[in-house]
Amino acid sequence: MPLSIATPPSSPKSSDRAVAPAVELRGVSKRFYFYEHRTSTLREWFIRRVLRRPLHVGRTEFTLHDVDFRVDPGESVALIGANGSGKSTALRLIAGIYRPSSGTIETHGRITAVIELGAGFHPELTGAENIALYAAVLGLPRRELAARYDEIVEFAAIRDFLDTPLKYYSSGMEARLAFSVAVCLRPEILLLDEVLAVGDQTFRTRCLERLRQYHIEGGTLLLVSHELHQLRELCTRAIWLDRGRLAMDGPIDHVLEAYRAGPR
Amino acid sequence: MVTLVHSQRPPSPLARLREVWRYRELLDSFIVRNLKVKYQRSLLGFVWTLVNPLLTVTILVVVFSHVVRIPVPNYWAFLLSGYFVWNFMLQTLNTGTYIFAEHSRLTRSVAFPSEILVFGAAGSRLLEFVAEISFILIALAVFHHHTVPVSFALLPLLIVIQLLIAVGLALPIATLSVFYYDVYHALPIALTTLFYLSPVFYPATMVPAAARDVYFLNPIAGLLTLYHDVLYQGQMPPLPLLLAMSVAALTIFAIGYATFNRYAAVFAEIV
Repeated sequence: MPLSIATPPSSPKSSDRAVAPAVELRGVSKRFYFYEHRTSTLREWFIRRVLRRPLHVGRTEFTLHDVDFRVDPGESVALIGANGSGKSTALRLIAGIYRPSSGTIETHGRITAVIELGAGFHPELTGAENIALYAAVLGLPRRELAARYDEIVEFAAIRDFLDTPLKYYSSGMEARLAFSVAVCLRPEILLLDEVLAVGDQTFRTRCLERLRQYHIEGGTLLLVSHELHQLRELCTRAIWLDRGRLAMDGPIDHVLEAYRAGPR
Repeated sequence: MVTLVHSQRPPSPLARLREVWRYRELLDSFIVRNLKVKYQRSLLGFVWTLVNPLLTVTILVVVFSHVVRIPVPNYWAFLLSGYFVWNFMLQTLNTGTYIFAEHSRLTRSVAFPSEILVFGAAGSRLLEFVAEISFILIALAVFHHHTVPVSFALLPLLIVIQLLIAVGLALPIATLSVFYYDVYHALPIALTTLFYLSPVFYPATMVPAAARDVYFLNPIAGLLTLYHDVLYQGQMPPLPLLLAMSVAALTIFAIGYATFNRYAAVFAEIV
């Protein structure tokens, strides 16, 4: 059969499209164990293990349930959904902070996830020292930081406070500094979790401008936010998660409209 | 192009070490940060790091050479050659009990091999130890040996053994502390006991021969004995002891790291 020769061998990994996806989730579930194990003490351990009496009924909950989606390089995608729908969990799974309970996640390209702004900051260190530390935490090689340093300082507009310990910064300044480091890293994939609500109006506008620029330059963007108008400005596609399941995936206007109309 | 695949299977220890290597710059950022935070806005800085143990050493010298007599010539020199090693162990192991709680924001929001926190704590402590031991080497050479013994050359090897044991024990302690806060309370008690069960203020030769086999099950006992040979006696330690301690150190590190690796994936969900 000549036709079968012409057909490329189908491998389970590569999908129908020629480009490798930036992010691909296949059948991803994440289950958390809410047994009060979290604060368990030796007394409880003794009751459970030695006396073999059940102490608490283990409560497990699926935060994500069998989710599939792929994001191509250069796409900018919004993740929307009510509180507790699994948006942040999805970002943490893609970033590699959590491990999935089942399914696989594949990412191609250098990835930076900003789940909490300034997570590596230390209050006793100066602004300059914190820039270096946060960049290292986010995985930027030191020599690349040297090339981006001025840009980061410029963008955060904190040049006069570089040698001041971070604890004397206002919360807005701190957030600006963190955000500047994150966006100036120029990863190939950028994951942002509700971090766009920082700083004053001017800074926010500049952030949006910056992200738009990042998108134009071909960066892949995944955004979690409740500010729908912001998402509409930045993203072309939206994924709606509803209680851990994929409710809808499509062009942003379309999904937002359905989302506003209420739960499916 | 970096390609990463995450599934429920934990990475192999080898893959884990490769990750640590990839994040080596973060490791030294943490080491530098730890030292900066500790010493900034302190006029005397490093002096404090020396003063505290030196004060203890002074008290021990007074007590054990004038009140309870421990038959060791130049008792101060004996004490100095082991006490700072014990101090390093004590502090590194204690760090394990709170390091993940202290960095919970970080482990929850950034993907990085979290053992780097433990390595970083041990690393900054190690730099301090190297500075301390340099002073001690000078003091011992000048006032005790009146020369520089050849055995001092073995010090780097002893430090490697010491580091492997410390990190190999701190990793499972840190793992356990994530699940059970009790470790935070229990460890200081365990370490106080261990202080008396290790040859810190008395030589291991004073331990009754019948108990010695059991006594040396404590790896810190072997380590301190090595230090006493090399620094205080100024002679090469017996080769069997050196080999046994090298093997023990590697084994402790391997088991400690494997234990940590088994549970590390869920730290971000718990802390």
